[in-house]
Amino acid sequence: MLEVKNLHVTVGDKEILRGIDLTIGAGEVHAIMGPNGSGKSTLSYVLSGREGYEVTQGSITFKGRNLLAMSVDERANAGVFLAFQYPIEIPGVTTMTFLKTALNAQRKARGLEELDAVRFLKLVREKAKPLNISDDMLKRALNVGFSGGEKKRAETLQMSILEPVLAVLDETDSGLDIDALKVVAEGVNRLRSPERSMIVITHYQRLLDYIVPDVVHVLSRGRIVRTGGKDLALELERTGYAGFGADAA
Amino acid sequence: MSKSMTAAATSFVETFEREQDNLPGAQGWLALARKNAVTAFAAAGLPHRRVEEWKYTDLRQLLDKANFEAAPTHQGAVLLPTRASACAFKSIAAYKMVFVNGACRADLSHLAGLPKGVELHPLADVLSEHWAKNLIEHDAHENGATRIIDLNTALMRDGVALRIRKGVTLDKPLHLVFLSADKGASHARNLIQLEEGANATILESHHEADATTYFADRVCDIALDKDARLEMVRLIDEAASALHLSSLRVRLGEASEFAAFTLLMGGGMSRCQTFVTFAGKGGKAHVDGVMALRGAAQGDVFCHTDHAVPGCESDTLYRSVLDDEATGIFQGKVIVRPDAQKTDGRQMTNALLLSRDAAMNAKPELEIHADDVQCAHGSTIGELSKEAVFYLRSRGIPEPEARRLLVTAFLDEAIDRIAHIEARDALRILAAGWFATGTGGAA
Repeated sequence: MLEVKNLHVTVGDKEILRGIDLTIGAGEVHAIMGPNGSGKSTLSYVLSGREGYEVTQGSITFKGRNLLAMSVDERANAGVFLAFQYPIEIPGVTTMTFLKTALNAQRKARGLEELDAVRFLKLVREKAKPLNISDDMLKRALNVGFSGGEKKRAETLQMSILEPVLAVLDETDSGLDIDALKVVAEGVNRLRSPERSMIVITHYQRLLDYIVPDVVHVLSRGRIVRTGGKDLALELERTGYAGFGADAA
Repeated sequence: MSKSMTAAATSFVETFEREQDNLPGAQGWLALARKNAVTAFAAAGLPHRRVEEWKYTDLRQLLDKANFEAAPTHQGAVLLPTRASACAFKSIAAYKMVFVNGACRADLSHLAGLPKGVELHPLADVLSEHWAKNLIEHDAHENGATRIIDLNTALMRDGVALRIRKGVTLDKPLHLVFLSADKGASHARNLIQLEEGANATILESHHEADATTYFADRVCDIALDKDARLEMVRLIDEAASALHLSSLRVRLGEASEFAAFTLLMGGGMSRCQTFVTFAGKGGKAHVDGVMALRGAAQGDVFCHTDHAVPGCESDTLYRSVLDDEATGIFQGKVIVRPDAQKTDGRQMTNALLLSRDAAMNAKPELEIHADDVQCAHGSTIGELSKEAVFYLRSRGIPEPEARRLLVTAFLDEAIDRIAHIEARDALRILAAGWFATGTGGAA
C-alpha cells in the first residue's frame, strides 16, 4: 500500500526528516509516536503534499505510484486523507456544501457519477449520526467557531464520507476530553477494514487504548528509532521517550 | 473663467448655456435651480484628488481626457451586451423601464398593470409638483462628494419619477435599465417618494449598449415617509472604458427602512455614492455591496451616513475581490450628531486581492458627537488564504475549484444581505460566474 524509502525532508534550511523507512500493508494500522519536534507532523504533511516541505532524498510509493509526483488533490483523489491536527476554518462555506463539493470532486476524478442532493443528504445523515453531528452543525461554516471536539468530529465525518484508502491521523487526540476522544476513536474504528490502512500520529499512548495499532514506530530526530507491536506504546508510557535514545520533550 | 474650469467643466457649462431653454422645467422654479446649480458647479469645478471625499479618484482628469460632448438622443434599436450580467434579472417578473442615453424609451418598457396608488412618470411630467421639488432641493448637509450632483441638476433631462401612495405595496419589483448607446455624457435623474407605509423593491441595471466610451451620470433622490420600506438591488457593469457616476440621496422618515445593495463589476471607472440621512427616529438603513473587478477597472464606493436623530440603525458591508490591475476604493463616513443618542452605526469593508498588481484603498471613518451610541467600523485587505486552499485541495477539490469556492463564499456573505430572494440568487450566480469565467467582468 505505502512504501516510504530513505525519506529526507527539509523545511527552510532545516532537515526535519533524516531517512525514514516505512512500509504499510493494506488494512494495517501503524502508530507513529515521538516527542515534540521529532518530525511527526512533517511526515503527515509530506504525505499530503503541503507546500514548503522539500524532499531532498528518498521516495514514497503509494499503490505502486510515485506519490511525490502527484498534486495535493490528485493524492486525495487517489485515496490519501489527512485528518488535520488543527483543521482550517473556511468562512462562508457550509460544512454541507464543502462535503458535497469534496465528495463529488473525488467521484468525478474516479470516473463515477456525481451524487444527487437526495442521495448525498441521506449519506451525510447516516454518517453524521454516530458522530453526534447535528444538521445545525452541518449548516455552519466549516470549522468556523467549532470547538476542539467539533473540529475533530468534523474531520472524522469527512473521512467517513470520503472513504480513503490511506488515512493519516495527525494528533487526533489533541484538544479532546475523554468523551470526545471515545466518539472520535469509535468513528475511526468503524472505518477499519482490510482495504484501508491508517497512520495514527500521536504524542501520547492514551489514543492507542482506543485505536489499537498493529505496529508502533518511535520517531526521534527525524528517524524511526524503534518499531514494535502494540505493547511498545505501553513500554513508552512507562519509560518515556528518553529510554529510546530520544530527547525528552 | 476661474481656475477650476478645466476643459470638461467648461464643456458642461457650455452645454447648459446652449440647451437651458430646451431642458425640461425651463418655465418654472427649476430654471432658477438649474442656474444656481451651474453657478455652483462652475465655482467648484470637477472633483479631483485634493477634495478629501475624492481622495483616490480624479474625475476632473478622467473627464478632461475623455472630452465628452452630450450624448445624442438615441431612437433606433439598441444592442445589449451578451454578458451574463445583462440578463441577470431576466427571469424575475418585474415592471420594466428602459433608459437609453439617459432618456426613457417607452417602446422598450413594460409598465402595464401597475397597482392603484403607484404613480410612475417620466421626470419631465412631475417637475411642477411639490414633492418633486422637495426631492430635488434635498436639504441635507453638503460635502465634497454631494457637490457633483449640481452637474446633474443643471443638465438632467429625463429619469423616472415614482411616487407610491400611503400604504401601497408595489406588487412586483420595478426594474430600471440604464443603457449607454452612444459616445458622450448623459445625466439621468430619478425621484422616488414612498408615502407612509408604502413598500417597494427596485432593481437597477447599468450597461453599455454598443457604446464604448461614455459618461453615465445618474442621481436618485429618495424620500421614505414613516414606516415606508424600500429595497434597491443594483448591478453596475459598464463598458471597459466608460465612466460611471451614481449618487443615491436618501432621506429616511420615522421607522422607515432602506436597503441598497450594489454589485459593481465593470467599467473603466465606476463611482457609487450613497448619502443616507435619518430624519425621523427608529429608521434603519443597510448600504451593502460587492466589487468584483479585473483588468484595469477602478471601483470607487463612497458611503456617507448622517445620524441626525436618535435611535436609528445603519449598517454597511462591502466585500471586494480585485484581480489583475484592478483598484478598489471604499470611503465611508458615519456621522452621529449630538442629539442622535442610541445610534447603532456599523461600517465594514473587506477586500481580497487576487493579484500582486491589484490594489485596495479603504478609509472608513466615524465622527461621533453623542455619548450613548454603538458604533463600529473596520477594514481588512488580504490574499486568499493558502492554508484554506491547501485544506480544500487535501480533500480532492482541484485548485481552481477551491479558489472559486473560497472567493464566492467571501462575496456571498455580503450578497446574502439582499432580502429579495430571486435578486439575491441572481447576483450569487453572477458573482460565481464572474470568478469562474475570468472574462465575465471588465472584459
